[in-house]
Amino acid sequence: MASVALKFFVGLRQSSPENHRSSVTVISKSLPSNQLHYRRLNVIAGKSSPKITGRNLRVAVIGGGPAGGAAAETLAKGGIETILIERKMDNAKPCGGAIPLCMVGEFDLPLDIIDRRVTKMKMISPSNVAVDIGRTLKPHEYIGMVRREILDAYLRERAAGAGATIINGLFVKMDKPTDKFAPYVIHYNEYDGKAGSAGKKVMMEVDAIIGADGANSRVAKSIDAGDYEYAIAFQERIKIPDDKMQYYEDLAEMYVGDDVSPDFYGWVFPKCDHVAVGTGTVTHKPDIKKFQLATRLRARDKILGGKIIRVEAHPIPEHPRPRRLSNRVALVGDAAGYVTKCSGEGIYFAAKSGRMCAEAIVEGSENGTRMVEESDLRSYLKKWDKTYWPTYKVLDILQKVFYRSNPAREAFVEMCADEYVQKMTFDSYLYKTVVPGSPLEDLKLAVNTIGSLVRANALRKEMAKI
Amino acid sequence: MSSSMAFFSSTTPHLPSFSSSSKTHFPINPFLSLKTQRHLFVSVRATENGSGAAIALEVKKDSEVAEEGSNGVPVAAAVEELGVKFEDPKWVSGTWDLKQFQKGGATDWDAVIDAEVKRRKWLEDNPESSNNDFPVVFYTSIIPWWAWMKRFHLPEAELLNGRAAMVGFFMAYFVDSLTGVGLVDQMGNFFCKTLLFVAVAGVLFIRKNEDIDTLKKLIDETTFYDKQWQATWQDEKKE
Repeated sequence: MASVALKFFVGLRQSSPENHRSSVTVISKSLPSNQLHYRRLNVIAGKSSPKITGRNLRVAVIGGGPAGGAAAETLAKGGIETILIERKMDNAKPCGGAIPLCMVGEFDLPLDIIDRRVTKMKMISPSNVAVDIGRTLKPHEYIGMVRREILDAYLRERAAGAGATIINGLFVKMDKPTDKFAPYVIHYNEYDGKAGSAGKKVMMEVDAIIGADGANSRVAKSIDAGDYEYAIAFQERIKIPDDKMQYYEDLAEMYVGDDVSPDFYGWVFPKCDHVAVGTGTVTHKPDIKKFQLATRLRARDKILGGKIIRVEAHPIPEHPRPRRLSNRVALVGDAAGYVTKCSGEGIYFAAKSGRMCAEAIVEGSENGTRMVEESDLRSYLKKWDKTYWPTYKVLDILQKVFYRSNPAREAFVEMCADEYVQKMTFDSYLYKTVVPGSPLEDLKLAVNTIGSLVRANALRKEMAKI
Repeated sequence: MSSSMAFFSSTTPHLPSFSSSSKTHFPINPFLSLKTQRHLFVSVRATENGSGAAIALEVKKDSEVAEEGSNGVPVAAAVEELGVKFEDPKWVSGTWDLKQFQKGGATDWDAVIDAEVKRRKWLEDNPESSNNDFPVVFYTSIIPWWAWMKRFHLPEAELLNGRAAMVGFFMAYFVDSLTGVGLVDQMGNFFCKTLLFVAVAGVLFIRKNEDIDTLKKLIDETTFYDKQWQATWQDEKKE
């Protein structure tokens, strides 16, 4: 019933052009008073929550990465008093740094944030069969490579411009409310810019909290969100000679094989003026250095003469936490565990989930005039699961089928040579929708996949006999 | 010798002081690189052993170990040892030269399969660097489908059909002796048809004893991810 009313009143409004792609942002604009009739049908859930007098809703966003920045901006634009707490403003996070094309449009990113446009990828199988993918990309399509410190800072600045208060501090703990609509009290250490200082202890009352503080989230611990399995991604940044760098101008490589990773892949991603060579694993974390050596060996001829300028590692969540929400505290981004399988992509989903959660709060609080309830935040979870579940599930199936064993990886690389596969893969990656292709091509693809898997497994059985 | 001894003693992991011990590893490396390459290789291995145990701690702190240029291990030296490449007279410019596999006028696909098996086995034990100047362009789809069938599918199919026939004969005899219903009449009965279906499916899917566990694990796997996503909704139902 509420959704029928929703469609009705969206049609009556004049939606501005840039909102066509994501119809949700239409709701966050303030509504004219003569449409109050429909709005009452909409916000049945918020009806029981009291109106706030004398001030706006206060929301704290813990963590200033893409998720936090996007959430804070949307909250501030929706008229909510927002504070964003980030512990390290110039944090150069270890990260692949790849963003899909749709993120540039959906988040209005300026093109100078993007260091490189990757338009070609090379997949390399355990037996070094190399397949080039990217032929099907149109001229305006690319995968953007960004530096995290630049992207994160840009999103935070935009949030500040929209009216959010950015605080350099470390979240310590939160006091849960004793009453149904009593505020949360967050404790954080505010840094005053002096290096090495522990910061001044500050307490603040807020009505809702968005936990965007990453894989080791403290907010998640405070609400007993539970644990997730995580992969270790280990990466070395290597500065290679210019002629070798020319090869990686707009090309990224993916190496698969048991030597490189038993359940993930090794990569060579071009960054602003160097390449990042890395690998990851969930099940064999103590052997990560061995896998890194193997990755460097596989790429040796292409990175010969390079110097390692930085070594970094970070955890990547493998699946969402058991509890992503508790009363008026919600988790977004890596803190919630929104990283896809198979590709390990997280930046876009972090930013999008931050935005979606903020939109749910803005809508549930009627632009900051009412208190929010758990059900308002749950609507963000519902929307998120409904929109992106197919993407996550498909990638999970791909990982389970193709990262299982060396034969499966050989079949994977063989399949990637097929044009239809390339088109489907890039379409779904760049635009984040699972597009059903033509059924005939899908059938051909299924037959070819099974054929590849059978051949590769047959070869492996012979290998075991030697 | 004594320097490598000192090195090994410093690799015993002291978890709380991981950050300090990691800094002592790297300054020693350039020192060792003056010695023979073997020492450098051994030292790289020892680094992994020493840091492997402590990697869990490092990650929890989300730390980044910054490497200055002068301490950076030059990439080439560390992997000099593993330089043996796959070589075979029939492997020409990244693919199998089918002309060298002729037998009686036609290509001997079995020999091609054998050669590829040997190559993959070699590469699994000795991974090689992928090189743009010498790309591998061999696809297994070049081997025709009937070659695969003759070699792999038919023997297995013979085995399975034999099993199904034995099971079928014994079950038909058993049902006949219990109920007196002959084979032709059995085929008209729904229960018998179900038993037949179960027998065929069993022979197809359970070929080794381990397959029962494998099937159970597969069924769990297909629904596990869904369960992880649904976990947050269990809270709502409880309220």
